[in-house]
Amino acid sequence: MELFLDLLISGLTKGSIYALIALGYTMVYGIVGLINFAHGEIYMIGAFIALIASLALSQAGLAGWGLLVSVAAAAVVYSAMYGWTVEKIAYKPLRGSSRLSPLISAIGMSIFLQNYVQLLQSPNFLTFPSLVPELGFLAPVSHIVNSTQLFIWLATALIMTALTVLIKFTRLGLSMRAVSQDPDMARLSGVNIDRVISSTFVIGSALAAVGGLLIGCYMRQIDFYIGFLAGMKAFTAAVLGGIGSIPGAVLGALVLGFAESFAAGFISSDYEDAVAFVLLIVILIARPGGLMGAAQTQKV
Amino acid sequence: MLKLEGLHTFYGNIEALKGLDLTVEEGEIIALLGANGAGKTTTLNCISGLIPPRRGRVFFDGEDITGHSPESLVARGLIEVPEGRRIFPALTVMENLKMGAYLRRDQPEISRDLDYVFNLFPILRARAGQSGGTLSGGEQQMLAISRALMGRPRMLLLDEPSLGLAPLIIRNIFDIIRQINMERGTTVLLVEQNANLALKVADRAYILTTGLITLSGSAEVLMADEGIRKAYLGG
Repeated sequence: MELFLDLLISGLTKGSIYALIALGYTMVYGIVGLINFAHGEIYMIGAFIALIASLALSQAGLAGWGLLVSVAAAAVVYSAMYGWTVEKIAYKPLRGSSRLSPLISAIGMSIFLQNYVQLLQSPNFLTFPSLVPELGFLAPVSHIVNSTQLFIWLATALIMTALTVLIKFTRLGLSMRAVSQDPDMARLSGVNIDRVISSTFVIGSALAAVGGLLIGCYMRQIDFYIGFLAGMKAFTAAVLGGIGSIPGAVLGALVLGFAESFAAGFISSDYEDAVAFVLLIVILIARPGGLMGAAQTQKV
Repeated sequence: MLKLEGLHTFYGNIEALKGLDLTVEEGEIIALLGANGAGKTTTLNCISGLIPPRRGRVFFDGEDITGHSPESLVARGLIEVPEGRRIFPALTVMENLKMGAYLRRDQPEISRDLDYVFNLFPILRARAGQSGGTLSGGEQQMLAISRALMGRPRMLLLDEPSLGLAPLIIRNIFDIIRQINMERGTTVLLVEQNANLALKVADRAYILTTGLITLSGSAEVLMADEGIRKAYLGG
């Protein structure tokens, strides 16, 4: 029972972080029909900026929740700028070309960003500080749930809610949905598509940066390569849930988090990573549209 | 109000428009007629900015708007209702209408226009919470026109509003096009394959044959001319 609970909790934690990354994949796909393979790197950059900011700001005397919030703000702002720039450099010039070109550009951008961080920062694993303050009321159950895990769940839930409100009830959200359904008609209604696409990349990058910060707090170490596997898994989660669907990305991420966690606990932790991709293959065979994706009606 | 001068467009190597000239005066309803593939939709897309012409100029209110983006032309009151209606299928009817008013900030006036389109097409009020994709073809056409009206157009570009609709609904829609033109002074450029129908509401008409205007004149004259009826209007 204890083991089961442990696995459930670690599954939920990982699933939450996958969800934060998967949303960026699925939103960008929904708007421009592109798999942004550099998205995992934005998450990695978010973690590095969080690390740098935490060192600098704790030197400056910040601590506790104040430090955590300032670090999060720095990671979000800088990563959003990276995401915005990646779109302008690697994808915008290729708009209107074949679908393959931006995909190759995305992979190139991903490799570039990995090497960029490796050269500028470090090729080694770096220790990440535990930024989430200990919560007193968790002390009696701290062997089951620690305050970092609780914070990850709450932060993720809050962000998902905010994102849902943004998409459903704001003017920007309405224009994003319109562009994803019919870009030309959105233009004929007065929407500036470039601005909507930029906003999508900025929002997706901000979410990934929060994921990067949280994974640092949780794993307590980061390196320039963490974006690759996490990106692949979040992409898997997005496809699992139905690429282009926002609730689907969250569902897929949670399913993936639990599946990995239970596989590691009940089978062997060697198979943890393999589970994600086995799940992907099974879903693609059984339900190509994903768990919450529309039935395949796309015309070729 | 609108003036096209020597428009040329290409799809790959195929020349779709071969030097098209056309003028529309303020307050008119103009029909642009022609067979399938004559270049009618291309002409509208040239005006609305979706496909900038390779050569030639488009003037709106005397100003050269060639190559301007569709979104900037919407802001000037030049609004297209494209072929096939292009309702946002997963947005509700109300959200589709809100998209029509996307560039506007004058909330009280937006509410008044909403009342106006609901009075024109009462069925849309009943369907307001339903997603656009669930509407019938006729309702979608009503929504497409209403969405355009929510942008306060000074000129409407209508592409085949009768396409695929039952005769009774077509008559209703054409009556309302007339009504909009009279009540709001909205200028209309109407593309149609159904020439008889279009000539009944239009003041003047142009006939387009493979990328060139081959004939133009007042709707009555064109309707009355035996030779033209035989050649272009199916008897």
